[in-house]
Amino acid sequence: MSSYIEGILMLSGINLIAVLGLSLLTGFAGLFSFGHAGFMAIGAYSAAVCTKLLGLPFVAAIAAAALVAAGVSWLIGRATLKLKGDYFCIATLGFGEAIRLILDNFQGLGGARGWPGIPPRTTLLNILILDVIGVVLLANLVRSRHGRNMIAVREEELAAKVAGIDTFRYKMLALVISAAYAGVAGALLGHYMTFIQPKMFSMVKSTELTIIVIFGGLGSISGSVLGAVVLTFLPELLRAVDKWRLVVYGLAVIGIMIGRPRGLMGGFELTPKSIRAHFARRREERAIKAGRAAEDGDEALSGEADGKGGL
Amino acid sequence: MRIRNIVAAAVVALALASCGGEKQADVIKVGWFGALTGDQAVWGNNEFNTVKMLFEEINAAGGVTVGGKAYTLEAVGYDNKGDAQEAVNVVRRLTSQDKVVAVLGPNASGNAIPIAPILEGAKVPDIATVATNPKVTVLDGKVKPYNFRVCFIDPYQGAVAAGYAFDVLGARRAAVLYDVSDDYSQGLREFFIENFEKKGGAVVADESFKSGDVDFRPQLSKIKAQNPDIIFMPYFFKEVALSANQARELGITQVLMGGDGWPSDQLISMGGAAVEGCYFVNHLDYEDPDVADYKARYLKKYGIETELNGYLVHDAVVLLVDALKRAGEPSGEAIAKALESADVKGITGRIKISPQTHNPEGKDAAIIKIVGGKYIFQQKYAAE
Amino acid sequence: MAQFLQQMVNGLSIGSVYALMAVGYSLVYSIMNFSNFAHGGVIMFGAYFGFFAMTLLKLPFVASFALAFVGTAVLAVVIERVAYKPLRERSAPFLYFIISAMGASIFLENIIIATIGPTFRTYPDVFGRTSISLGSVSIGRLDLIMFVISAVCLTGLVLFIDKTKMGRAIQASAYNMKAAALMGVNTDRVVMIVFALGGMLAGIAGVFFGMKYTVYPQIGNITTKSFVAAVFGGLGSLPGAVLGSVLLGVIETLVAGYLSSQFRDLIAFVILIGVLVFRPTGIMGKTTEDKA
Repeated sequence: MSSYIEGILMLSGINLIAVLGLSLLTGFAGLFSFGHAGFMAIGAYSAAVCTKLLGLPFVAAIAAAALVAAGVSWLIGRATLKLKGDYFCIATLGFGEAIRLILDNFQGLGGARGWPGIPPRTTLLNILILDVIGVVLLANLVRSRHGRNMIAVREEELAAKVAGIDTFRYKMLALVISAAYAGVAGALLGHYMTFIQPKMFSMVKSTELTIIVIFGGLGSISGSVLGAVVLTFLPELLRAVDKWRLVVYGLAVIGIMIGRPRGLMGGFELTPKSIRAHFARRREERAIKAGRAAEDGDEALSGEADGKGGL
Repeated sequence: MRIRNIVAAAVVALALASCGGEKQADVIKVGWFGALTGDQAVWGNNEFNTVKMLFEEINAAGGVTVGGKAYTLEAVGYDNKGDAQEAVNVVRRLTSQDKVVAVLGPNASGNAIPIAPILEGAKVPDIATVATNPKVTVLDGKVKPYNFRVCFIDPYQGAVAAGYAFDVLGARRAAVLYDVSDDYSQGLREFFIENFEKKGGAVVADESFKSGDVDFRPQLSKIKAQNPDIIFMPYFFKEVALSANQARELGITQVLMGGDGWPSDQLISMGGAAVEGCYFVNHLDYEDPDVADYKARYLKKYGIETELNGYLVHDAVVLLVDALKRAGEPSGEAIAKALESADVKGITGRIKISPQTHNPEGKDAAIIKIVGGKYIFQQKYAAE
Repeated sequence: MAQFLQQMVNGLSIGSVYALMAVGYSLVYSIMNFSNFAHGGVIMFGAYFGFFAMTLLKLPFVASFALAFVGTAVLAVVIERVAYKPLRERSAPFLYFIISAMGASIFLENIIIATIGPTFRTYPDVFGRTSISLGSVSIGRLDLIMFVISAVCLTGLVLFIDKTKMGRAIQASAYNMKAAALMGVNTDRVVMIVFALGGMLAGIAGVFFGMKYTVYPQIGNITTKSFVAAVFGGLGSLPGAVLGSVLLGVIETLVAGYLSSQFRDLIAFVILIGVLVFRPTGIMGKTTEDKA
């Protein structure tokens, strides 16, 4: 495999981990964050401290990155998650900037000039392993009672509260887990680039991650996986028209929200079971069609036109 | 276009693999990357245009002779939008898919630092243009084998600014305003303060802002209260123009001084009278007879004036062509080896690469003063 | 002492910039109950409208100014119709509104980058760069004019909301949209008027920004500060937005002037979190409960 393709694959694997976390936060719990790149920054710097300064193994560094990011997110959650969603939004906006400001000023870790010479520990293999672990953990979580409660909080917070769901607890759970995922992604990114700079974790980075979640579909894990891979490769293929990329993304985001809020996958999960079910249904349909020479096909799955058509 | 690239790459790869660059291949591919979109796009386009123009000229004159055989040069350029992650992507692409033998650019240190491991893996040298952070070529006391550059470095630029302010302008009390979220700005600030204090001067205010800020009056009011002799502003022209205007509004009349982030047409149109009489450190004198020819050729071909980056990428090409001729074979390893002992005359001065640092040694800086809305060369200045 | 007075003037001037943005944003919030993050994009368009009216169409300042705020009022209404109305009609969760607003904001910024380009542009000089000196304190001419015009606009807005029939309909809808609709208020029109008003304020802010800080596609990002200011003052409250903005401007200035300019925004952020912990509704905010 060419080193170029390998590099892009690694990046999409790293993005995937961050996107999975954000998918839980935004797609399942309905919280909107402007500062997720801040958690990645925390993860990247904590992990680099572990391997470069303390000489710890990479596994320990990744665990530390997840823990530190989760801890910081818990503090922010304590202050803002009891309030309406907007307050959380604005707090994350301030948080993302504040983290960068601290790192910019902290000369011990290179300041704004960045921190080079981080050991290149990230490989395609360890990214793949973490991707699989990440997907399995998240899939189990959202299929549990906790996952269903989170969706209830997203759709109708007040109703969920009335139904006896501890909305604060579920929002906090989603936030802490998603921050840990972002921390791991940051750790991998730092050890892939071998260089980290506060600039790399700007608000634009947070926005791009959120866009991937929205394209993949709110509340769909397989959508997030697909979104992360496709949207990391796409800009590489479309370099020539790159300045129009974000224009189209902006329109598409609006289109998805008004036309197909569950995104490209439309809440459809790609699991062995669902695939079997899909084919079973297709067989059934064919059987029915053959039986009575059907006049119109069922479009339930191929679905309405892509959300982009909404405008 | 893509297919042609792939075919060409395959041909080059085959040729290189089969018999170390013998008769079949007569094209040498050279990579370039930088920002072609985004707020640094002006400089990126200027660099890539210069590279393309020079390669055309070289090819028209018969190409470059390497190991007794004439080759033509082909430039393969990619946009990295000024982003570090994109820089890693495009260098991987240049080295593994396009099989370039050398890379030119980038202009930003934050983009030049993370590409080092990839260059080492692919054994392809890079010549950075205006990346002035020391860590681009040297890390933890060890020189990076495949990173080179044609510009002077931040400690030197900071020392020049401090030396000129103290010795020539007679400043004893300096104030600094810098962009805390910018690597370049932090670097210059550190080395200016270090050198100014070493000379016996006092830094009476050390204030900062962060990228995206547009109002500097709180910091400037504080600086004004300290009554410095000079204010050092090591950041890019847009913020320079805004902060200079606000300083004059607050009644600050002191001389302002800056680095190579200043020169731009927009500084004059936005800053106007506010930067009149101010000084900055530059890589060259725009009126130097050595640069006149390149300047005229660029203007004729593209219809616009070249920018600072164009001069430096010009010298990066000069350096590369010299190394190619001495390399004996068009391979990254041989070119890197030849670069280590390079000593050529470029249009921005003599470029003698030091094998210990991979930086051009003893390159003079030019001091420019803004007079009547024009950049007027004052003198060459070398810091000890 | 001289420095302190100058810093207070700086703080008030920066605060009034924030206020001009925060009021439009807060006004929309009070009706729609969501943060319209596209507000910054509309402000940026206002700056470009004014700039091109003056340089390309060669219009005098007053005409350009009017053209800019009419343009942004139309733009804000169009954004509402396209990006929010369909969501409003099916009463989608608040998350969808915020995402739609983010999409609009990304679109606005990048359409400018793709068509006009990312370069900075400077407004022609209208009021002169020299400042007015009062003893050792200097006040920029533009700042003074900006302060007066913002005060006039905000007073006009308050009068409109207090004295006119439409204003009372806005107040009623802000209190409870559904009940207002039942009482015969045309809430769709109310929403349109509110977006038009917010858009006008954005246009005014945009032109002043452009004159003060030059025009470029990311200029709308300064609005993030006004979002923070609106939270300080209490989301959804207009006097709160003004008060929060002025306070944030003064706090930032004093922090930069006397504590540390390096950590200015960090300290402002810590204060924000402190306010949220001890006084979740901000200084004058309305209830934080979801309106069912």
